[in-house]
Amino acid sequence: MKVPFEWLSEFVVIDMDPQDLALKLTMCGLEVEGTEKKAPSCNGVVVGKITAIDKHPNAENLVLCMIDTGRESLPIVCGAKNVAVGDKVPLAAVGAQLKDGFVVEKKKIRGIESPGMLCSEKELGLSDDHSGIFILPDECRVGRLLHEEPFVQDVILDINIPPNRGDCLSIYGIAREVGSILDQRAKLPIFNLETEANKKGKDFVSLKVLNTDACPRYVLRMINGISIKTSPFWIRNRIIKCGMRPINTIVDVTNYVMLELGQPLHAFDYQRIRGKRIEVRLAEQETTFRTLDGNERKLLQGDILICDGEGPVALAGIMGGENSEISETTQDVALESAYFNPLYIRKTTRRLGIKSEASLRFEKGIDIDNVGFAAERAIFLMNRLSGGAIIKGEREVYEKKELKTLFITYSHINGLLGTHISQQDITKILRSLDLHIKKEGEEGLFITIPNFRHDINEPADIIEEISRLYGYDRIPATRPISPLSAQKRNAREIALGTVKEFFKGAGFFELINFAFFSEKDIEYFLIPPSDERAAFVGIANPISREYAVMRTFIAPGVLKSIAYNINRGAKNLRLFEKGKVFFSKEGAPCERFAVCFAITGREAEFFWRDKYNDYDFFDIKGIMEGLMGAFGITFFPQKTSEPFLNPQRGVDIFVDGTKIGWIGELREEIVKSYEIEQSIYCAELQFDIILQKMKLEVQYHPIPRFPQVTRDFSFFIDDSIPVGMLMDKIRGASPLITSVGIFDMFRKEKRSVSFRVVFQSYEDTLKDETVNRLQEIIIKELTNINGISLRA
Amino acid sequence: MDIDVLQERVNKELSSIKTIDDVRKVRISLLGRKGVFSEYIDNIKLLDKGKRREAGQEINTLKLRTENRLQELEDSYAAEEKKKKDAASWIDITMPGKAPLVGKKHPITQTLDEMVRIFTSLGFSVAEGPDIELDYYNFEALNIPADHPARDMQDTFYIQDGVVLRTHTSPVQIRVMESQLPPLRIIAPGTVYRCDNDISHTPMFHQVEGLMVDKNVRFSDLKGILSMFVQDMFGKDTPLRFRPSYFPFTEPSAEVDIGCVICGGTGCRVCKDTGWIEIVGSGMVHPQVFRNVGYDQEEVTGFAFGMGVERIAMIRYGIDDIRQFYYNDIRFLSQF
Ligand SMILES: [Zn+2]
Repeated sequence: MKVPFEWLSEFVVIDMDPQDLALKLTMCGLEVEGTEKKAPSCNGVVVGKITAIDKHPNAENLVLCMIDTGRESLPIVCGAKNVAVGDKVPLAAVGAQLKDGFVVEKKKIRGIESPGMLCSEKELGLSDDHSGIFILPDECRVGRLLHEEPFVQDVILDINIPPNRGDCLSIYGIAREVGSILDQRAKLPIFNLETEANKKGKDFVSLKVLNTDACPRYVLRMINGISIKTSPFWIRNRIIKCGMRPINTIVDVTNYVMLELGQPLHAFDYQRIRGKRIEVRLAEQETTFRTLDGNERKLLQGDILICDGEGPVALAGIMGGENSEISETTQDVALESAYFNPLYIRKTTRRLGIKSEASLRFEKGIDIDNVGFAAERAIFLMNRLSGGAIIKGEREVYEKKELKTLFITYSHINGLLGTHISQQDITKILRSLDLHIKKEGEEGLFITIPNFRHDINEPADIIEEISRLYGYDRIPATRPISPLSAQKRNAREIALGTVKEFFKGAGFFELINFAFFSEKDIEYFLIPPSDERAAFVGIANPISREYAVMRTFIAPGVLKSIAYNINRGAKNLRLFEKGKVFFSKEGAPCERFAVCFAITGREAEFFWRDKYNDYDFFDIKGIMEGLMGAFGITFFPQKTSEPFLNPQRGVDIFVDGTKIGWIGELREEIVKSYEIEQSIYCAELQFDIILQKMKLEVQYHPIPRFPQVTRDFSFFIDDSIPVGMLMDKIRGASPLITSVGIFDMFRKEKRSVSFRVVFQSYEDTLKDETVNRLQEIIIKELTNINGISLRA
Repeated sequence: MDIDVLQERVNKELSSIKTIDDVRKVRISLLGRKGVFSEYIDNIKLLDKGKRREAGQEINTLKLRTENRLQELEDSYAAEEKKKKDAASWIDITMPGKAPLVGKKHPITQTLDEMVRIFTSLGFSVAEGPDIELDYYNFEALNIPADHPARDMQDTFYIQDGVVLRTHTSPVQIRVMESQLPPLRIIAPGTVYRCDNDISHTPMFHQVEGLMVDKNVRFSDLKGILSMFVQDMFGKDTPLRFRPSYFPFTEPSAEVDIGCVICGGTGCRVCKDTGWIEIVGSGMVHPQVFRNVGYDQEEVTGFAFGMGVERIAMIRYGIDDIRQFYYNDIRFLSQF
């Protein structure tokens, strides 16, 4: 809320500058988000006084004003009609600067030289009003620079009011807080209501409230014979400074009093109230109603309506109706000041999506005890600004409720805060907040909560009040009393740690993408409808179509990141992402962790000494092998069934017969859907299954004391025979074989593959004949297979 | 036996030496077991007894001279060879080195890991909850009923009636309290979602929630724990302040500000000229929340806190646009 410092000072004495006050408010829970200095955007404009007005000899619609500047008398040509002898006016003499940097020059107007000009509010940057010369308040001193006049200067505090503090949505409400902080009591405005003695409200309008739960208090007051005008500068200025727009004397007063006291008001054109009757009731059935913004609103049972003799005239607390709206010609006004139950208002505003300054306050709860006073205040101001006669007495329905009383012990207060605040300090703080101490006991206090504090409902709320005014900075910082116990990391934390460490060590960058993608991604990846990855969880109110559903797998996001980087010149990428994926299982959303990684391009663009090959399948497969190794998991690759992988260069990964993921080259057309022109090798794994299968405990094996023996074998092998199977066969040939590797592969009509086999015994030094025998066995086993022959 | 012939032979062989290998060959042919000198020495015994001594002496002197000469030659050739070798091992040490493959964790992950480390050291363990959450856990159990004004503070993504993407990690508090009895000391790091997308908001971001419930947990303990966190995360001398605030699920509530690290407190765009940056929302667990999970609020008290990981990472690294975290530009990722 925007709070003009000048207005605030009407209610409390503030003997500090706005910045210091802002800090104090912030530290008591009303965070001041900013302060804005307000001053007219002019320079060199002085306060002048009109001493004489003469006709312009050459123009009928111009006059010649003699202006006393305190030092001299200047004849100024003026076209406005609103000036009179004796008025104080802003004079911009030659050289003075106005809004937007406009500099006043000497000018001949219809043959008469004018050494300056008189200014409107708009020219001074004070408002949008350009209807006439800005007539200054009488307290301005002739000869003084206008921008030094106190009435145009101000500092506006922008205060972030907590959502539970509706009582602070007014200048007076803020003043009450300032009073608590500065140990004063905020003063309500004092005025004297002069009423027309022989006319009584009850002769003009009848009032009935049919549901006092929805509307426990309703006040109507009347003022007759007014004339609607533009409000004086001081009212308009305050309304503008609070961020609202001035309209006319009647509407401005309702807004002004709402800003001042926090009570939203509504003015009806009395002559348009049919049957001279006001009835507050709940809508009984669905109906439509045109609010004053011109919109047709659908009303439902339970909305609070203000009705006249024939039907609704206002949507209570939210917006008036077009049918009873104030117009320029309104003469008699019926003013409503009421308390509407916040629950009803919230329900209606939420449904209709209307947010007005009034509903905002009703929703949070206003001060029911202030309803009558606010009506008097508004009627007084209307009378002052628009004339007319105030009708004596108000029509009122008021169902009073007893105030809440809470009991709180001193030990509860200090025990929860960890403080030693004295009983005197506690009672002093409570009193400064208008929290009435009903009874003071040995152990604690009975406290009555005033009606404006809707946020205080239980002892903890009172402790908050005490702590924030006592000052959070005075509360010590302590170590908890309870002892520390060692914390065990859970399995997922540990496993995620392994993933992060592995990929960091393997030269991968981690990505974090939004967990949303679009149905298009599922389509691009050719996921069939029967696949669980097509059973997405949709968002009812997404920010865009691109992010309309929860991702069912991570790869599309990784692909988008790859495209983003390639478009910015990075062609060689090693990327991984871990995170949740989401599915709809029989209509219920479920989620689990997944890991995706991808490589594209090559290890580096160049190094002067070496030559790099582009990544291929065996690069990504090696990474998968390394990752699985880190988890102690043995996996089995099988020919892929994934529709998005190049079938020649993709495998599905199985562990203990369960598929946990896939690796391979993405199909060219899929990569192209993401506008990528280069080959992408990618993999994705279900993390939750890894969690079940992983073996992270390390068991030490003694280092063998005997030397190992290495033998190489080369075979011609038909393409139809998978080498992986042969490696398994060799490995299985003897427990003395500790490793089998492929050190060469080339093609010369037939495929030649060279194996390097390491033999190792833990018991003794291997004898030549033992190794020779094993070598024979290996050669025999392999060459027995159709399509394999030993290479000489 | 002619010493002069021997001398001549020696001279001839020595002058034929061109390399260190020649030195070795000549040494063998002259001084080896079957070399020229051996032959001469063997032949001494064929001489007259009177001449033997003199001839022996002459041969020995010549042998010694030859040995010395050969050693000289060997040393000089060896030095020459070493020099050549040294010259051949020359490289231009100013050529660029080969960069190893270096991977990086995302700055959000790095920051999150650091936060978890600190709270783990303070005795908190990690808890988890779902991203797709029931309205009850995300709002109602946290004392935010359907028509509560605080719902306006958060723009919620809805999945279906009663199911939302969690707008904060606070529902984990409820899930933990429903399934465990006090004492509790947990943190819940995780992804949260709000229907917001501009220079200072992303529709998804990260939070770390904290909860401690036990007998006699005090507001002063909350100050203590969060002060320790801030000092560990941002440095011992980081100014910090606790300021009253409002959250529906804590009472009293506090916001924690740290001195602006960008401007040092003099005021800048990041701290909106206040010199302070808000990093934590916190407070004592609201009695209604305890009632909702069936804890006896006469028996236990507790505090809870929540902080945005992106915000802390932004402060830590001086990043001014939150969206940078989600472009995944490697020129960005490689900086951390
Ligand atoms: Zn700053």
